[in-house]
Amino acid sequence: MQLKITDYTDDVLKQVSFTLHRGENLVILGANGVGKTTLAKVLCGLIPSECVEVCGINPSKHFGTKRAKYINYLPPKLEVYDAFLSVEAFLQLSHFNTALSIEGALKQLHVTHLKEQPCHTLSSGEAQLVLIASALLHGADFTLFDEPTANLDPVRMRKLFTLLRTDATLPSKLVITHNLDLAYRLGFDVLYLHQGSVAFHGSSEAFFAQENLDALYENSVRHIDGHVVVTL
Amino acid sequence: MKFLLLFASLLLLAAAPFFGQVDLPIHALGTPGSMAYQVFWQIRIPHVLLAFLVGGILSLGGLIFQVVFRNPMSTPFTLGVASGATLFTAIAIIAGMSMLSPLFAFGGAMFTVLVLFGIAAHFRRHDPTALLLVGIALSFFYAAALMVAFYLSTLQESYEILRFTMGSLDVVGYENITLLGIASLFLLALVHYYRTPFKALLTSYEFAFLQGVNVKRLSYILLFGVSLAVGVAVSMTGPIGFVGLIIPHILTSLYRQSAEKLLLPSFFFGGVFLVFCDLIARNLGNADLPIGVVTSFVGAPFFIYLLLRRGK
Repeated sequence: MQLKITDYTDDVLKQVSFTLHRGENLVILGANGVGKTTLAKVLCGLIPSECVEVCGINPSKHFGTKRAKYINYLPPKLEVYDAFLSVEAFLQLSHFNTALSIEGALKQLHVTHLKEQPCHTLSSGEAQLVLIASALLHGADFTLFDEPTANLDPVRMRKLFTLLRTDATLPSKLVITHNLDLAYRLGFDVLYLHQGSVAFHGSSEAFFAQENLDALYENSVRHIDGHVVVTL
Repeated sequence: MKFLLLFASLLLLAAAPFFGQVDLPIHALGTPGSMAYQVFWQIRIPHVLLAFLVGGILSLGGLIFQVVFRNPMSTPFTLGVASGATLFTAIAIIAGMSMLSPLFAFGGAMFTVLVLFGIAAHFRRHDPTALLLVGIALSFFYAAALMVAFYLSTLQESYEILRFTMGSLDVVGYENITLLGIASLFLLALVHYYRTPFKALLTSYEFAFLQGVNVKRLSYILLFGVSLAVGVAVSMTGPIGFVGLIIPHILTSLYRQSAEKLLLPSFFFGGVFLVFCDLIARNLGNADLPIGVVTSFVGAPFFIYLLLRRGK
């Protein structure tokens, strides 16, 4: 059971290859516009490609639970067309993981009170948490989180961080983020994209070694008290 | 409010066949062979059924189109289905085959659908906006071709074509009703079968895809199903505008529920709306008004009123 991309190339990305086994986590880092979201969409089949294989299938060519149980992608923003679709109805759509109830997922993210609300009335932070709840209910083998903390206040960001680090519902989490401290504290392996190519793929310790950070971020990132901080 | 609306609607449906140009003595309705019996059972009842089923198809079709295209202006006619039917009807009339015009109309609607899907097969990715634009381009093409048809036709033929474009619910007997009933059942069964993936379409195409839905296939199946049913309807009544546009919007405003819960109500109230408009068309003046005129006269102000109320 693995996620594998081999020599993927398009307008943005160049010869991207890596493999992730079920149970392993990954943080994907890189500058704006380097192709992180494109990579995520290729991996989950939203952008069709012959270079991707997830648990033995090409995700762009299979439908139904056959693909859904293997891979899932959470966009940076919750998009809902219908003005009256409730949070509960929205979550029902991704309820593949029957071991977890909708109430249980909402409780884990401290948003039980949103259950009956239309998705359109949620604030961006609430919408983000509802998206995360949908990922837990979906329970895919590989789940891609695209900027999961972008809209969260510090308290909720901290809660989400704990969830990402300790959660056992989702076997493999791939987190795209610009938050270096989050990436560091998660301790997941790191894939760093630079100019469309994989410039680094290895352990968290190796990536966050000060000399490596100095080389990649032009001396603008420091270790302070066990955190990685951008020096402004 | 909802209960009142439902009650009033049922009352309207029950009362509709009793109103018309000729007053029918109620005691004679059960006497086979009487004039009243003939008018009531062979004209009034089929008329109301026709209005109900066509209204239902157009309204449900509108709701589905609006979801699939993410466009509140979409109606079952947006893809050029009605223009195709109109053009082919015009051709039938000019060719001296007026008797076959429903067949031509249906052929025109289906031909349009096939052309559209033939073109869509060349899109690399699922692109509803492109499909919509192709539909609009086809409509303009058909409109131009219709002008040529008018230009080539005699005065009598022009009048016939024009009457078709205004829409008409005239019907005698139950042959057409049976066919339309089958088309309605087909459409309702289709949306019932696909109601879960349809609900996923209410989020975003990407989210629906990630939940395992084959968005492209589902969209095409729904569009094809609607076009087929609308093709049958238009071939019998001509294009009746506005129902598919306004009824789904009115129901969303009144019910404040997501679209997948409005599938059946939109069929029902679309039917009721057309029966209501037809009642006005048949009873207002000395001669029947074209139904398309009434749907727009009744629907447009109410629609604007709702939009203004929502704005507040």
